[in-house]
Amino acid sequence: MSLIVDVLSGGVRGGTSIMYGALGETVSERAGVINLGTEGSMLMGALGGYIVCVETGSPWLGALAGALAGAALSLLHAYLVVWRGASQFASGLTLLFLALGLTSLFGATYVGKPVDGFSRWDVPLLSDIPVIGTVLFQQDPLVYLSFAVVPFIWWLLFKTRAGLLIRTAGERSESLTVHGYSVKAVRAGAVTAGGFLAGIGGAHLSIAYANAWFENMVSGRGFIAVALVIFAVWSPIRVMGGAYLFGMALALGSALQARGYNVNQFALDAIPFVLTLAVLALLGKKTVSSSPAELKKVFENAPPT
Amino acid sequence: MSATLLTPESPEVAEPEEAKPDRLRPILATVWRWTSALGVALIIFSILLLTKGANPFQALGDMFKLTFTSSRSVQEIFIQMAPLVLGALAVAVPARAGLTNVGGEGQIIIGAVAACGAFLFLGDSAPGGLIIVAMFAASMIAGALWAGIAALMRLWAGVNEAISTLLLNFVALDILLFLIYQPWRESRTGQPTTRELVDTAKLPVISGTQVHIGIIIAVVVTVIVWAVMRYTRWGFKIAVAGGNAEAARRSGLNVSMLVLSALMIGGALAGLAGMIHFAGVEYKLRPGFGYQLGYTSFLACWLARHQPFPILVAAFVFASLSVAGDSLQLDSSLPAATINVLTALILMAVLGWTAKRKVSV
Repeated sequence: MSLIVDVLSGGVRGGTSIMYGALGETVSERAGVINLGTEGSMLMGALGGYIVCVETGSPWLGALAGALAGAALSLLHAYLVVWRGASQFASGLTLLFLALGLTSLFGATYVGKPVDGFSRWDVPLLSDIPVIGTVLFQQDPLVYLSFAVVPFIWWLLFKTRAGLLIRTAGERSESLTVHGYSVKAVRAGAVTAGGFLAGIGGAHLSIAYANAWFENMVSGRGFIAVALVIFAVWSPIRVMGGAYLFGMALALGSALQARGYNVNQFALDAIPFVLTLAVLALLGKKTVSSSPAELKKVFENAPPT
Repeated sequence: MSATLLTPESPEVAEPEEAKPDRLRPILATVWRWTSALGVALIIFSILLLTKGANPFQALGDMFKLTFTSSRSVQEIFIQMAPLVLGALAVAVPARAGLTNVGGEGQIIIGAVAACGAFLFLGDSAPGGLIIVAMFAASMIAGALWAGIAALMRLWAGVNEAISTLLLNFVALDILLFLIYQPWRESRTGQPTTRELVDTAKLPVISGTQVHIGIIIAVVVTVIVWAVMRYTRWGFKIAVAGGNAEAARRSGLNVSMLVLSALMIGGALAGLAGMIHFAGVEYKLRPGFGYQLGYTSFLACWLARHQPFPILVAAFVFASLSVAGDSLQLDSSLPAATINVLTALILMAVLGWTAKRKVSV
């Protein structure tokens, strides 16, 4: 029993940063722009959040700074792909390299500096509920924030005018133009908002999860976020479930090892990816057909074979 | 209007020979593009160095001096260039068929894993020549099969190869980590690595240098890829399929086979890149093996506009930048990864200035 609780709780804890990144990627891809630079935005968020948290002592200001740093990097992606028509894959990877360089240049002096980040805060009453309380309500504030962000993004995308514009930019951009909206502005807004969310995810890593900064600390979580969006079929609610699943796979190994089981962490790590591939292979046509139409154009150099 | 912006142009079909004067202009344009991009990138990079309290003239001057005048660094450039060239070709061949191979990272790892597996299977006592041949074969076959998964997923389930190759990168990395943390681990106590390759099976070096023959292999393969693209029926067919799959199908081409073969050959080239990095530089698998080699290759290929000979130049530039990063660390005690900023700035300048004329994925 304690094993299950450990894994679930670890899944929520470790999955949250990935979730923020994937929510950001969802918004961006819904507008028809894939952003491989999400990994970079998370790195910027991790360092931005860390620096501001160390200097001001306020983790909330840190999270905000992380979000802004992530948004700034995504704005560059938006500029390159939306206004300059650059390849989305090449631009995203380029910005990842930019973020790697910038964060190691400006982060070097912060390695090993102590930080007073977010600490665990048990929600009164709710945290006493067996299992559920431990898993969901004995976490840090950014986890609680994510409980609100997920339905908010869903509401934004599917119930508001802004969401309609974003989805139209991703599905039938020409009808935006017909109605006098700027596709470029909508896409740039969505990509930047996506970077903002990814930045929070990065800040969660450095000032809530690890309470440390080190070079390249995001180590692939941003790419996992990109994969997760496909797994979740561009739905914010499913992103949440998927992120916890990825998080649990990461938590399972150490939980088992702590109990003396000799398991190989990396076989477990591969599960979410293999699962995503299997889902795609089985439901491929269905999944792909539910992807934003403008996104398909990005992927498809040639008409589908 | 912006919809068209995002629709990537298909890779060009080999054009007939043009008149001489017309061929000079694109070369001049290329030279101008590179120098101006480099200039702007250097200026912004200098400003960043200033904010860190480093004297940019001195830091950059020392960096260039150390990188290009020391024979050790120049040799290091050629060593690092070899897998980049092959990794970039692994993107270029599928791109010709209209496919986006973002899976170089994983294919390189799988190639190295297969090479290491071939060595461990044959054992230390096998003749070195046999081990090398086995490693070459194993790495290319494994890379091709790994990319083949993505090709089959595309053909059977309509899953786009950009998604599947990206996902396969993580599976490949986990396979590598799984192997070196358990079954292939040399010792329980030390670092998680595999046993070192026997000396006889290490790639020989070019006499008088420390540069292994990987660079020669890379250049030869570049010429072969160029010739195959330009002069063979297959090269022509994949370009047709990449240009317009429907037209290709109607004219009787087997587009599925072309997609499969182009992506698998790409995978084989990336596997080869992994093998020469393993048998030429690393000699053992470790957790960070080949880190970002695949993504760097993707960008090098993009910068070279998917053309084989420009890939040699782009790979040289990326390798130089990587070595320059180490020089920067030695001279100015800035982290070596700082050089990624300069790399990215150059790429951004090229992305931002030239993309409108020709968008390629």
